[in-house]
Amino acid sequence: MKGYMRYFGKKLIWFIITFIAAFLLNFILPRLMPGDPVAAIVARLAQGQSNASGVQAIYEQYTELFGTNEPMYTQFLLYVKNVFQGDFGFSFSQYPRSVADVLRSSIWWTVILQFPAIIIGWILGNSLGALAAYRKGWYDRLILPVSIFASALPAFGMATILLVIFGVTLKWLPTSGGYDVSMIPKLNWAYIWSVVVHYQLPFWSIVLIAIGGQAIGMRSMSIYELHADYVKYSRFLGVKDNKIVRYVFRNAMLPQITGLALALGTMVGGALIAEIVFSYPGLGTILYNGIMGQDYPLISATTLIITIMVLIATFAIEILYGFIDPRIKAAQSD
Amino acid sequence: MKKTIRQIFHSPKFVVGFCMFMFILLTVAIYPLFIKDKPLTIISQGTFVPPGIYVNVYDSLNTKPYTLMLDAAAAKRIASKLSPDDRIAIKEWLVAVGILENQIDTTDTKSLLELWGNNYDPKKQLPGMTYAKTRYYQRLNAALEGILSTEGVTIAATDTLTGTLQAKATVKQSDYVNINEVPNKRVLLLGTDNFGRDVMTEIITATGVSLLIGIIAGLIATGIGLILGLAAGYIGGVVDDIVMFFTNLFTVIPTIVLLILISFSIGQESRGPVAIAVVIGFTSWVWTTRSVRAQVISLRNRDHVSLSKLSGHPVIRIIFTDILPYIASYVFMALILQISSAILIEASLSILGLGPRTTEVPTLGLMLNWAFIYQAQILGKWWAYLPVIIIIALVSFSLNLMNTGLDQVYNPALRD
Amino acid sequence: MKRLYIVVSLVMVLGLVLAACQTATPETIIETVEVPVVQTQVVEKEKVVVQTQVVAPTEAPVAAGESLPRNETLYFNGQQWGPVKCWNPYSSNCNNALGLAAQDNSRVPMFETPYLYNMMDGKQYPLLADGDFTWNDAHTEITFKIKPAAHWSDGTPVTADDFAYTWASYIKYNTNAGNNYKDYIETVEAVDPQTVVIKAKLNEEGKAVNPLQVGHYLSGAYVIQKAWTETLEARTGGDATAFLTDVAEDVVYSGPYHKFFADETKVIFVRDDNYWGQDASMWGKLPVPKYLAHQIFKDNAAGSVALAQGEVDVSQQFNSNVQVLWENYNLPVSTYLPEPPYGIGASLPTAYYNLTSNGLDQVAIRKAIALAVDYDTIIANAMTNQSATFDQVPRSLMNPTPGEQAMYDHDAVADLQWAGNDIEGANKMLDDAGVLDTNGDGNREWNGQELHYVATCPNGWSDWQAAIEVVAAAGEKIGIDIVTNFPEWAVYQTVVTKSDAPLPEGYDIFMMWTDGAGPTQPWGRIRHLLSSEFVGQEINWNGNWGQYSNPDVDALIQAIPGETDEAKLKEMYTELVRIYLTEVPSFTLMYRPQSFHTVNESVWTGFPHQDDGTEPPVPPLDLTDGWSIAGLYNLQLVNP
Repeated sequence: MKGYMRYFGKKLIWFIITFIAAFLLNFILPRLMPGDPVAAIVARLAQGQSNASGVQAIYEQYTELFGTNEPMYTQFLLYVKNVFQGDFGFSFSQYPRSVADVLRSSIWWTVILQFPAIIIGWILGNSLGALAAYRKGWYDRLILPVSIFASALPAFGMATILLVIFGVTLKWLPTSGGYDVSMIPKLNWAYIWSVVVHYQLPFWSIVLIAIGGQAIGMRSMSIYELHADYVKYSRFLGVKDNKIVRYVFRNAMLPQITGLALALGTMVGGALIAEIVFSYPGLGTILYNGIMGQDYPLISATTLIITIMVLIATFAIEILYGFIDPRIKAAQSD
Repeated sequence: MKKTIRQIFHSPKFVVGFCMFMFILLTVAIYPLFIKDKPLTIISQGTFVPPGIYVNVYDSLNTKPYTLMLDAAAAKRIASKLSPDDRIAIKEWLVAVGILENQIDTTDTKSLLELWGNNYDPKKQLPGMTYAKTRYYQRLNAALEGILSTEGVTIAATDTLTGTLQAKATVKQSDYVNINEVPNKRVLLLGTDNFGRDVMTEIITATGVSLLIGIIAGLIATGIGLILGLAAGYIGGVVDDIVMFFTNLFTVIPTIVLLILISFSIGQESRGPVAIAVVIGFTSWVWTTRSVRAQVISLRNRDHVSLSKLSGHPVIRIIFTDILPYIASYVFMALILQISSAILIEASLSILGLGPRTTEVPTLGLMLNWAFIYQAQILGKWWAYLPVIIIIALVSFSLNLMNTGLDQVYNPALRD
Repeated sequence: MKRLYIVVSLVMVLGLVLAACQTATPETIIETVEVPVVQTQVVEKEKVVVQTQVVAPTEAPVAAGESLPRNETLYFNGQQWGPVKCWNPYSSNCNNALGLAAQDNSRVPMFETPYLYNMMDGKQYPLLADGDFTWNDAHTEITFKIKPAAHWSDGTPVTADDFAYTWASYIKYNTNAGNNYKDYIETVEAVDPQTVVIKAKLNEEGKAVNPLQVGHYLSGAYVIQKAWTETLEARTGGDATAFLTDVAEDVVYSGPYHKFFADETKVIFVRDDNYWGQDASMWGKLPVPKYLAHQIFKDNAAGSVALAQGEVDVSQQFNSNVQVLWENYNLPVSTYLPEPPYGIGASLPTAYYNLTSNGLDQVAIRKAIALAVDYDTIIANAMTNQSATFDQVPRSLMNPTPGEQAMYDHDAVADLQWAGNDIEGANKMLDDAGVLDTNGDGNREWNGQELHYVATCPNGWSDWQAAIEVVAAAGEKIGIDIVTNFPEWAVYQTVVTKSDAPLPEGYDIFMMWTDGAGPTQPWGRIRHLLSSEFVGQEINWNGNWGQYSNPDVDALIQAIPGETDEAKLKEMYTELVRIYLTEVPSFTLMYRPQSFHTVNESVWTGFPHQDDGTEPPVPPLDLTDGWSIAGLYNLQLVNP
């Protein structure tokens, strides 16, 4: 147990260092972009303005407000102070809305879209992969190339094909938005149904590609495990096939879980294409528009969320691994 | 070596993937030898000209006509202007202006058009009828003009001296020209795009550029991944910690965000295809590093490595003789996957408007981007986007298939 | 085994490809497109068009969790991008397109202006005002009355005090409106509760600085309730920033619609059934749709799909190749005009020259490039024919509306107007001017330097990018190397609007917009294109970004606002056009509508169309801007 504690302690320290570095980068990287975000806001405000001094006044008012006239380190100190009080400041591009407000209104759409899509894609993909590995023959011959082809389709290609077939041509499913445009949202069945229907196209555009990738990975891992010595040995000992299969797939799934954790961690930016093609609300486009509008606070906050989510996910996985996979322990001992 | 290659080419998956890939590669190489048009020349005025063979009308009129007596010609001519739906619409109009329904026979073109000619008034708007419908009838009426005529049309030219029209020739309804005798024609296999560029020529150049981007990015990413992975895995200790620190850092700041940030920052003026390839390469080495490191760790305690160490061989030599050969196949497969994913990433970046600059070379992603901006997918202009999606998918599919094939050769357990 | 495998994978790939191909061909789409209700409409017997609309019974609006009734809701798209931020009419940063847009054609569903501008005839029609406004004899003051019926959403009457207090607040809090007019308007005063006087700022000679701008205020600035403004002031305690950034959910308005619901995906307005305008002195009835709903899409493509599906009734966005929707798919979609250019052009997207680049200080080179550009291809490809061609509307400084076209003498400048793609003429002009290819590399030189230019416009502005590509293509034909470059908008705008220094490298030829249609046009557009007052401005969002300077032009621009003699005005405008087409400091690339206006008649009909019989004609501005709101009163259900 002491060995574990040391192992985790070391991991934890590295996680903290990574976090600090990422936190710094999240702050600095957006601010290294060329261009002047305040000028962009003034541009929006001043369209049709015929008075020059007025424009200048607005410009100064906003640089003051956002603190972009301060040197970078002062901005950073202020940022750190505010972040630890849970305040991410104002969004430049959506001022007077605060970053927290912008994120709050869109993060649920991302979670609702991505979480089930990743989980279902993972489960279906792994089941198919395992099936292909275990049943071989026709299953394998069908599942493998289909999986490879699905994972080779670009995300927007899949999204567009689904849109054209099921949305535009067949008109089975709505093509845009998070719920019916005529509806005033309230948590009732009609609303939930509407959300579910609007959910289909973006959902499947993500899931179909994910299934392909997962199935390929799971198939390979399962086959490795099926040919591992312990399987032969167990068979030799007369252990029941069911039991062996359970072991095999549990072991094969371990690396897949890492992938799952990472996918969950990076879900924020993951659905960007689907969000754009289907005009689905969510954090991906918020982040994208933030970059286009040089909305430093918004970019920093969003990337910080991603960083934290990935760190938590990977840390959880590491801890889990330490307990369930003896091989990790072995790797650590040398 | 020979044996391995023979083995590889016995893997059906590899062979299929390889053939597809080579086919694409050869097309990219050979096509420009025969068709020398510049891919970015604007050839059509008007967007999304549909695929087909284009024959110059002016030249056709000046080409010797042949007379062919084909029975169905008139019927086809009428059908092209007057669809069954149009006939029903005509009937609706006639009923609305008070003609009895039993007097209208939609199958009898002649009587139908006579009724139409007598009762249609383009200035009249029926109550409750939408503008869209009113305009539909106006368009239909214009299209139906002279549809039953059996006369030819007269070609006239303006006399340069008097400015009056002078009849030059008559085109009969039974006149045909042989397409081979018309001097000016152009085959547009995939029509034109939103700029009016020949999609076929463009897509082939674009495939070449995208492959180049994929290969450069793949080489860079695999190179960095290999070096870092070797260093971290073999040397270990502090080097390992530092490398793993950077790998983790790159994991927690997602690649797509980094890519968008960097592409945005370097600006379009310096975003050539090579620059984009380099950016992609430098942001996608993380995964390779991790895998190489894991492989090296499992290798470094093997007997033959330990033996080399004991013999006092320098590190470089151990790496080159005792480690690299064992992971070479693995690295090669990683390279293939990196190439395929770099092509997909370029396409994604271009879709977001952050791809290479437009004027110099086409890339697959840029073609898609522009097709979508001009809404080809909604307007049914499939030739502007579908072939591009298919090419991207096929390139990526063939690479992945080759990869799977190799995997099965190197790991016999995976074979069926 | 092996063969089987190959066959399987091939069949699969082929199948996918074929399936995808099939579903995307136009033919199959046509088959599945439903032709809506219109067909049955036609069979109906002729009947008199009902002119007076029965006012819908006042019902409680739909509750949360319910759906808006389709036949009481008019759906928009293309004006609102991103979620609404606030409802504060003093703020210029609410991103509230349907509610807040005071401009040349002010958007008036929620807040109102005393007059409504109609770009079709160039006149201002009274809204809150009672009858036409009058200038005093010295032409320094405008007086107008307020309609007795006009009242706020809280029931209190709209008074002259509201007007005066609005102006005072605009100035006090330095709002956009205040900044726009403070150089031209001295004060807005209440003579009595029903009478408002606007006093112009005077120059040294005692004349109004700019009477045109004073008149513009009448249709270009909202009036806001005094009582509510005082509430807001009390709430924000005199802090100007807080005042301007208040979300103002409680705002009092005078217009027919107000906020009902807003989130990330849409914004919905609901009709105020107590709207004062149903009084006989204004519209005599309520606007027809009970709800105005604006969908928020992420790009044009999503908006086009919704328009084609009939989920959007009125679309204000660039729908590329819009005619395909009715020609190929037979959808009940239409635009203002049945044929190209489909709409009424109002602004002139323009290519500016950086007059300090090598050679671009030479008129011959500037004009030669402009002569060589193939405008027909720009219009056909970049705008998909949604612009008049330069054969239809010869180039000048005027937009294609009949009102502006009548303002200059066409014959006097006819020999200066070029239609483009004149390679021969351009080459000859360069040869004559001594701009020659002396070293035989196929490219001309000037001042011993190769002529090499970068043509640029913001990245992602698709029709502009396509246009600038065509400009670059023209250079090759006349021995001038032109390459294109598309910086991000965030970068582009900071460079172009910095007029206190020469433009940097990479901005030799660049695109910007011009003013559209409005009460001060074409004067305002010409000023923004040519006036040297903008040269040297640190942040210049006004115009003349190429930094052109000509005292004759400045004098004319100075003189026009005070001139009332029509014949003299025409002479002055003709002179400006003559100078512009001779000196070519910039050149128009295409005509662009004020707003795109495409409608789908699946549910509603009676939208503004050419020759729709409305008097005065309702402009195709999405039934929200200026006089086009009159269109909301003419709507009818296709299936009542």
